[in-house]
Amino acid sequence: MTNTHLATQLRRHSMLLILLALYVLVAFTARGFMTIDNQLNILRNIAVPGMIAFGMALVIIVGEIDLSVGSMVAVSACLTAWVVEKASGDAFEPAWYFVALGIAVTLCFAGFVGWFNGMLRQRVGVPTFISSLAMMATLAGMANLITNGSAIEAFPSWYYIIGSGRFLGVPVPVYLLAVAFVFTYVLANFTTLGRSIYAVGGNMEAARLSGIDIWRTKKICMIIVALFAATGGIIYSSLINSGNPTIARGMELEVISAVIIGGVSLFGGRGSIWGAFVGVLFLGVLINAMTLWGFNPYAQQVVRGALILGAVFVNFYIDRK
Amino acid sequence: MSNLHFEGLTKHYGAVKALDQFTHKFESGQVHALIGKNGSGKSTFIKMLAGAIQPTEGQMFLDGRKLEFQSPGEANSAGIVTVHQELSLVPGLSVAENIYLGRLPKRGLLVNWKQLYDDSRSLLAEIGAEMIDPRATTGDLSIGRQQIVEIAKAMSLSPKILLLDEPTSALAHAEVGQLFALVDRLRTSGVTIIYISHRLAELPRIADTVTAIRDGTLIGSVAIDKASPKVILDMMFGELPPLQRPTRHIDKTHSALSVRDLELAPFFKGVSFDLHHGEVLGIAGMLGSGRTELLHTIFGARRADAGRIAVKGNTVSNPSIATMKAAGIGYASEDRKASGLVQSAASHANLCRVGQKRIAPSGWTNLALERPFVDKQVAGLHIKIGDPMAPVSSLSGGNQQKIVVGGLLNNEPDILLFDEPGRGVDVQAKRQIYEIIWDMAARGLACIVVSTELEDLTDCCDRVLVLHEGRLSAEFLNEDLDPKSLYAACMTGDDTGAAA
Repeated sequence: MTNTHLATQLRRHSMLLILLALYVLVAFTARGFMTIDNQLNILRNIAVPGMIAFGMALVIIVGEIDLSVGSMVAVSACLTAWVVEKASGDAFEPAWYFVALGIAVTLCFAGFVGWFNGMLRQRVGVPTFISSLAMMATLAGMANLITNGSAIEAFPSWYYIIGSGRFLGVPVPVYLLAVAFVFTYVLANFTTLGRSIYAVGGNMEAARLSGIDIWRTKKICMIIVALFAATGGIIYSSLINSGNPTIARGMELEVISAVIIGGVSLFGGRGSIWGAFVGVLFLGVLINAMTLWGFNPYAQQVVRGALILGAVFVNFYIDRK
Repeated sequence: MSNLHFEGLTKHYGAVKALDQFTHKFESGQVHALIGKNGSGKSTFIKMLAGAIQPTEGQMFLDGRKLEFQSPGEANSAGIVTVHQELSLVPGLSVAENIYLGRLPKRGLLVNWKQLYDDSRSLLAEIGAEMIDPRATTGDLSIGRQQIVEIAKAMSLSPKILLLDEPTSALAHAEVGQLFALVDRLRTSGVTIIYISHRLAELPRIADTVTAIRDGTLIGSVAIDKASPKVILDMMFGELPPLQRPTRHIDKTHSALSVRDLELAPFFKGVSFDLHHGEVLGIAGMLGSGRTELLHTIFGARRADAGRIAVKGNTVSNPSIATMKAAGIGYASEDRKASGLVQSAASHANLCRVGQKRIAPSGWTNLALERPFVDKQVAGLHIKIGDPMAPVSSLSGGNQQKIVVGGLLNNEPDILLFDEPGRGVDVQAKRQIYEIIWDMAARGLACIVVSTELEDLTDCCDRVLVLHEGRLSAEFLNEDLDPKSLYAACMTGDDTGAAA
């Protein structure tokens, strides 16, 4: 039946249609929205929450959650700056390899934390909702501890390129977002690991009896989201040219809500990277529009909160069908 | 006399008539069996009577009074109570709390525990279930006892009409006996019972009348003394060709699987047997006899305490699911919902999950690469699916079972273990599953079938082993197979009457 076919297609892409409707509405009502600069600005603003959202989509699809991503962003920014500072001593312009060392140490640390979260889930059976909540507090504390609560300014002058540089007119973080998208998209859709992620999230016991290594699958997802959060932290440290422990506070909420708005099921097993991207873009466009419309920033927070509630409602409604 | 009466009861879902013009009268104080294959409209009828959905047209009367329900709660107050196929008990609460859930007796603001336990104890005694302690944690009871608690819960509402939806599907023989005694007792006390079951053999024991629904229409209703098995099957399916088990050559020279002195405390001990290529071997035993645990151990999902498993002559040194899968064993779980299928995923994904490594050895995959493996099983097993990308949860039980089997076949196994392959599927689908098993055996696969329903084993298997109290106690060959002696062996562990 073409009619029911059309209906399912509409339902499947309902969020995309809503995004397009919002886009058209904003294009006609917000002055300055349709400029190339503003469009690139939106993309740059969603780059960090966006790439973390792709990792988070994998984590939620595999049936877990990671609430520590915001703190991971902060601690990664600080750790990179701290390593550069300690390694280069009092040099005015630290050598490039000290920066490389800082980034490497940060990524290794993040990978370890992701693995550790998965390990806790496997060996102790702690739900990641709890363990990552504890990890959120721990990492935020570590960020304050190594920086002594204030920003570390230790980067060389060229370091800004990662966060604020442009290539062919497009901000560098947008390229990193694209890489993260392609990586997670291919992983989810064109690898057997991706198939396993969906199976484990849909029914752990069925996946186990199918011979899938469920814990390895879950750990890989936890590691990926931590690595993306660390990359986000490095981008932010470059944007503000320092390691500051107060950045990205509450970003987990923004990321998780984008993923849910994008239709990823909170019960696991269902959702897509494309959906997460649509969710991220929707939030980005909305925030940009509210600013251009001159909304009170506190009112913006209320609107975002209400929106998340609405998205969760729709998410549950669709899951129950 | 009070009775239950339906006049032109009809339910439409869009253009589909799930139930059409159902007009019938159920006499009170009797057990009325309601039969029909999956999708016949039986569940629609039950749901309307239970107040879960509302009829499109038509009326229901109890004792001449018109019934109109907006919710199951209203049906309960009118004296109509349902015991669903899937247990609705809270495992962490006590038996008494479950029975009076939402209606706990209070003293002021607090729960009156003494009254709760006293009421529960007398209620359980009333239905002949004194052996169940109202203080016991419900989740610790056997499935059979939980079923009885479920019925006690229904009885606490003092129903006039009790709907039992496949109450025996999860029970072993001994527990079924207990349940039937309970049903007899309720009948004597004047409760009208509507009894739904796929186990046709139990109807003569328990029912007074048999009513059949097919394709949304009432086919007929007969008194039980006129309902021979043929009459019942004919009502359900129209004419059904007789079951023919093809003769097969079984190669007894090489074992596909040999199990030696396998032990898993506290489930079984000293289990040894051989399984040959082309053979369908049944394992019978009461619920709790260790059947499922035995299959799990052979499949590597549980680690044996002692013993040895050899596949095609090679001892598997480190049994795990992965090594057993690689050695050529496939396992079809007893519970499609909990562990057999990923219900939220598409039929396509479920057909490809087990054989993932074989379908895409490089680790790179895509839908086009997987599609031939899906199409092959859909065609080969005659699976009825509209859209392979639709969630597998939308399929009937029989088709879901075929998806389970198709998924295993995509891993090209040599040995298949079937845990309760006939559970929750109708008679016709069950026959198709046997035919699939025989067909695979004819191609040289070795199969083990475990079932609570002994008729399944006698119909399907070449040889049946009996597991009694954790030990293999008897062996029956094809020609000696009949449910009665098998049942006796399961109960006593004795193989008198078995020629082997």
